[in-house]
Formats: sequence, C-alpha cells, structure tokens
Amino acid sequence: MSSSEHRDQTANSNAATSQGHQLLMMLFKAGQGFLPLLAAIVVLLVVFSLWVPQGRFLRFDNLVDLAQQIAVNAILAFGLTLVILIGGIDLSVGAVVAVAGVVSVSLLTPAGPVGGLLSGIAAGVLFGLFNGLFAARTAMPPFIVTLATMLMARGFALGFNESRPLPISEQQHLFLALGNERWWGWLPMPVILMFVVLIFSAILLHSTRFGQHLFAIGGNREAARLAGITIATHEVLVYVFCGACAGLAGIIHAAQLYSAEPAAGQGYELNAIAAVVLGGTSFSGGVGSIPGTLLGAIIIGILDKGLNQAGVHFSLQYMVKGGVILAAVWYDVSRRRLSR
Amino acid sequence: MANAPTCLLELRGISKHFGGVQALDRVDFTLQEGEIHALLGENGAGKSTLIKIIGGVHQPDTGEIRINNAVVQIPNVRTAERLGIRIIHQEMALAPNLSIAENLYLGREPRRFGLLDRARMFRDAERLKTELDLPEIGDVRTLVGQLNVARQQLVEIARALTGELRLLVLDEPTASLSEAETEALFAKLRRLRAQGVGIIYISHRLEEIQRLADRITVLRDGRSIGTQLAAELHIPQLMTWMVGREVKDRYPRPPYQPGEVVLRVRNLRAPGVNEVSFEVREGEVVGFAGLVGAGRTELARALVGLSPIQSGQVLLNGNPLRLRSPREARRAGIVLVPEDRKREGLILTRSVGFNLALPWTRLWARGILPNHVRRAAIIHNAIRNYSLRPGNPNQAVNTLSGGNQQKVVVAKWMEQPPRVLILDEPTRGVDVGAREDMFTIIGQLVTQRMAVLLISSDLPEVMNLSHRLVLYREGSIVREGPAASFTPEEVMLELTGVTAEGKPHQQLGTSRGSSNKDGK
Repeated sequence: MSSSEHRDQTANSNAATSQGHQLLMMLFKAGQGFLPLLAAIVVLLVVFSLWVPQGRFLRFDNLVDLAQQIAVNAILAFGLTLVILIGGIDLSVGAVVAVAGVVSVSLLTPAGPVGGLLSGIAAGVLFGLFNGLFAARTAMPPFIVTLATMLMARGFALGFNESRPLPISEQQHLFLALGNERWWGWLPMPVILMFVVLIFSAILLHSTRFGQHLFAIGGNREAARLAGITIATHEVLVYVFCGACAGLAGIIHAAQLYSAEPAAGQGYELNAIAAVVLGGTSFSGGVGSIPGTLLGAIIIGILDKGLNQAGVHFSLQYMVKGGVILAAVWYDVSRRRLSR
Repeated sequence: MANAPTCLLELRGISKHFGGVQALDRVDFTLQEGEIHALLGENGAGKSTLIKIIGGVHQPDTGEIRINNAVVQIPNVRTAERLGIRIIHQEMALAPNLSIAENLYLGREPRRFGLLDRARMFRDAERLKTELDLPEIGDVRTLVGQLNVARQQLVEIARALTGELRLLVLDEPTASLSEAETEALFAKLRRLRAQGVGIIYISHRLEEIQRLADRITVLRDGRSIGTQLAAELHIPQLMTWMVGREVKDRYPRPPYQPGEVVLRVRNLRAPGVNEVSFEVREGEVVGFAGLVGAGRTELARALVGLSPIQSGQVLLNGNPLRLRSPREARRAGIVLVPEDRKREGLILTRSVGFNLALPWTRLWARGILPNHVRRAAIIHNAIRNYSLRPGNPNQAVNTLSGGNQQKVVVAKWMEQPPRVLILDEPTRGVDVGAREDMFTIIGQLVTQRMAVLLISSDLPEVMNLSHRLVLYREGSIVREGPAASFTPEEVMLELTGVTAEGKPHQQLGTSRGSSNKDGK
C-alpha cells in the first residue's frame, strides 16, 4: 500500500513538472509535421525575393498586402478543414461568399451595420445548415449536395441588383473597416479577423471534445457511432461552421472591394480546398490540422502574388499552381505511407 | 444458496427483423450478477443482433429489457453506458488515427474549463493501464493504427473496463489473442465476476467456454434453443442444439463416380494458408468445413490468383499452373463463385443479361460490332439451363432475390464450363427454395464431370452435399476423409478445437495469432 502511494505521489509531482514539458514536446512534435510546409514557404519566399524585380517581394508593405490577400482564402479553408476532416466536402463556399456579400450589403441601410453583418453570416449559416442536413440525413454524397447548393447560392446572389455590383456607401465606415481598417497604421483588419477564426477553429478542433469526436468520425465512423458519438449532429454543426466562415469571408471580401458583387467568389472553393489539402488534411478523413491549413493558405497566397509580381503570364500561373499542389500532396501521401 | 443471486439482466420475448429477415424471434435470456454466461450459436444465429440490442445500437421490435427487475429502454449507446453496460464488439471499434489514450476515452474525454484535458487523459490512461495490469498495451500515445490486432484488442478491452461497469459483453474477444494473452484476459474476467459484474461471453471455442462460463445459452436461427449449467456441460447435447437442423432439411447428395484427379494442390502457402495439400477429382464435391475465419476464403482466393502464392504447387490435370490473376486461373479452368456476391460476384445495377454475358465478351464482342445474336444466345442458354426467375434478361440484378442472384453468379460461367468450380458459401442469405435449386445445380455440374470445391459454414449442408470432407482450422487442414465417415458432433469438435472427451487439443493456440476473418 505505502509503496504504491509513494509511487502515486512521485507520479503526480512528475506529472506536474512535466506538464509544461509535455506541452512543449507536443508543440515540437506537431511542428515537426509542419517542417516541410515551413521549408516550402521559406523556399518560395527566397525564390520570389530573387525573381520579383528590385527585391520588391520581401518589402514590408508587400508582405502586409500578401497577408491581407491570404485572409479570405484562409478563413474559407479553416471551415473546410473541419468538413474535409470528417470525410465531407463543401463546394458551395465560393458562391456563399457572394451571397453573404450581397445580402449584408443590401441590408446595410435598413438594418444598420451590425444587422448587415449578422445577416451576411446568417446567410452562410443557413446554407451550411442546408448542406449539413442533406449530407447527414440523406444518403446523398456531400459532393453532389454542395454542388447543387453552389448553383443555388450563385443563382440567388445573381438575383440581386440585376447581377450588377452593389456599391457600399462611403458612410458605412464600420462595415468598410472590416475590409480596410489598419490597426496601428499597418495591421489589416482582415488579417486580424483571420487570426480570430484561426484561434477559434484551432481550439474547436484540437482542444475540445467536439473536435476530438470529429477526428474519430473521420477515422472510423463505426467506432465513433459505437462510442455513442452523435454523428449526424456533429456533421450538421461542421457544415454550419463552414457556412459561417464563408459568410464572414464574403462580408470581408465585399468590404475590401467597396461593393458586393453577385459574381464574386468564383472558384474560391477550389483555392480553399487546395489550401486544406496542402496543409496535410487527408481527403479520406481523420487526419488534418488548422495550423497546417494556415500554412497551406500561405503557400497558395505566396504563389498567387509572387507569380503575378514576377510577371508570369496568367496561363502559366495556373499550371505552376496545379503542379505545386500535385507535387505537395504526392509528397505528403508517400511520406504517410512510409510511416505506416 | 439461501441468498439467491440477483438477476442483473432479463430479456423477455425479444424479436427483431431486418427487412424480411427475422434476426431474433422471441428470445428470452437472463444474466445474474457475478455470472459469466456464454452465448453460443452458428454464424447468423442472432448473437450479434442480441448484444447490439443490449448495447443500445439496435432497438427490439417487441419484447422488454429489465435491469435489476426494472423495465428499461436502451435507445442509444450512451444510455447503455450510463446503465453500466459495456460491449466489446467483434469488429474493431477503434479510430486508427487517434492514440491509444484518445480511443480509451472516446466519447467521455476528460475536460478542464470546458476544454479537452489531454494531459489528464494521458495520465488517466497510464493509470488505467497499471490498474488493469495491461502493460502490454504500451505507450498510450501510440496511434492505434500502428498497433497489431492483438494489441488493438487489448485496447478495446481496456476501453470497456473504464468507468462504472455492471454488465460486460465480449463478442469473440480471443480471436486474435495468443494463449498467454487469453489467459490474462480470463483472469481479469474472473476477477470482474468476483466483483459482481455480469458477463456475456460469445465465442466459437467450446474449450474456452468450458473453462470460463457458469451457464451456456445456445441461439439458432434467431431463437433461444436452451440453457445449460456449464458444470453439467454435455457437449453432444450442445452440438445438437447448435447444428440440429439436419432433421429439418433434405440434402440430395449428388451421385459419386469419381474420375481422374483434376486439381492437385501441394504444400500451398499463401496469405492465411499454411502448407495445404489436397486433391479434387472430376465428378467430385470436396467440402471445406470450418469456422468463419478459418482461412478457407484465403485458400480459394489463392487458387484463382487473387492472392499471391508464396510456395507450393497447384496442378491442373497434372500440369503446374502459374496463377497470378483470376484471368489466368479462368483461362486454365478454375473459377470462383465468391462469398460476397453483391460486392464481388455481380454488377448489381446492371441487368441479368449484362451480367451473364460479361465473362464472354471475347465470344460476342470481337471485332468492331458486337454480335448481338451470339450474346442473346449466351444469355438465353444460361437463363434456361439454370431456371433463373424471373427470366427477363433486361431486369436489373439487384431486383432479384438472393437465391436467383446467386444462380446468376454461377450460371454466368457455364457457357464454356470450367473444370474446377469453387463455391464460397453459396447458400448464405438464400431462402429455402433457392437453396434447394443451388443443390440441384451442384448435382448437375457433378454429373457433367466438373470438380467442385464447396466452402460452407453450414455444417449439415457441407456434410451432406460433399463426397469428401476437409476440416479446416486456422489456415490448415486438420482432417479429411469420406463425408459419410464423420458425425456432425465430431466435426464440430474438430473445428472448435476440443476432443470428444471435452479435453482441449494439445496444439491449440500455437498458431492462433495468424487466423484471419474469412473474406477480409
């Protein structure tokens, strides 16, 4: 008895001292997984600093600009990470960007800035709810469900103002600030919002029971079910979260452009999926992380901006981007197979 | 004895059907506190359905569940867990992408300030490991996907033992454990029994049940056939309860006029197959009897080139074969009718005709234009010769009954009959009428001098249809001989690994780790 008590005590004190150590170890281990991505980012930065004329690429204001451009895609990608992690997909996020923009801007005058903002996010939530209910409660594959809602959302957005952009009045300072305000004179508001979503979704996915259950659902649905996890509820909530992210992204996008464009966000879903996949989230579910997705979004952002500033013809830009995605995911998949 | 043990669980008149299949039919069952109650029965007898009802995975159609004499509803897994019910399912119910600790606490993760408390989870898992005396589990941070099956099984067991436990159900827990691991598990179960936990134990291994259980209940065809005290265990009685179907069914054994040896297998080694040798003559049915997981499907797959042959020889009419693909096997004259007809035997969404004509494209689809006359003739012959119903070639295969689907899978090979036909569980999920049709077909094929290899877990069927019987256990042949020379009790004993006196085989457990699930 006494010896076991003693063992307990030492174990406890060990645990207390090692907790901080453990956290460091975990961060270190997690960081190791991200090393290839970080290396890729460094390489890209070096390449473009040499390639873009006059060393413009690494200039501070250019990097801030880059961060600003990454923000919208990253916010979309955070929501999508959760969806893809449980083995789903959401193709509608690009169209929802447009819907959220036109809905919030057209309600700005009657409902005020807060009402406009909330209505835009609500539009995203509604589409997410729709996607989630269909994906969770019917046998329809989420690819088809969200392909359909993508078309519906696009049609809905194009129905506003005869498909022409809705300008945001200069008086809407608060709303415009979401896209253009710079804190301390340099930090763009969209980047701050991106970090808010980053922290929120990282905690949600990596530090709550809910997130833990998402990993279980993605890894082995049957095991999750037998452990008493309510899969349908989790699934619906994931799509709702993804829709909310798309709603927020849509509002920021509109504010950045000083107008809501019914044709906005075309192809954004693909850029976001690319970021998620580059970040190491597996399409078969169960593997992935929010920090990884951030790095993925940064890579996509650097490629976009860098190739542009280097004066590469846009046709070639697409091909380079495709090649990078293919190579990165190939590398990721073969590395994972080796470690099995 | 004055103090009668309390009845922990009582099931009264539980029935459950899935579609048209009656999985459970008015089953009664009781479990005392501090009792190990073994549940026996052939595959498909309803054991898994019964425990899924106890665990809140399925809801019974009728009947009531009482726990400590109070009627309860168990609408979901969470309720079951709250009632202290834990189930170790047969199929692995773990997430491979999560660590051992995360799996142990899946669905009941410890929290701190509303957030996941990983540090505590790992700490608790370590402590649990020591408490349960399961050091073999290893580092609780290891991903479950990196563990071998035995260690995964230990994780499942540890998982079931967390939290308040009153009723534990184990569904074939030792299938992948070594002898030592099994012993350790038994010691734990006995300790739990002493603490008053009620345990339902499902296994095919009679020897284990004999050593462990207090009472034994046999299920057959979804009905509870009877309950015995293990102390008064009478194996022949148990066997009759388990297999006792031969009185009901009739099996026309095909006439036996064996010819030349067609298929000769020498020292065959393949995944799940250990040094197997046997031969099949023309006009002969050789039955492979064994439990699910004995490795018969693996043997069949090796014989048609679906899994690589590691060593040994397969000779057809004396000529050695190199089997690298089903295409080569078929060209040589060996064809497999697979166990899972829906996944492996048919293109379900296409028509009967499409499926019947598919193997013969080289006959009707040579050159530029397909020969529709030839195609129609192939389809017509198959439908007529094998009395497929309904006989409409344009009907989608998935609208046919299970029996007729099975007939399509057999009939599609018969335009130019193979020399060796391997039937893997040809009557599984097939109704009585179609079952008899299948027997007639086997008879026809034998009269046409075909060599038939019949794999079946249905004991009366495989014993009565075969001319020669091969008893198969854990990837090897344990005995073979004329089918008429075996009694069902003998066969069952050989297959489960105990002798007629109820003594375990000496060699039992030596090769246990290698046995796999059939067809997986």
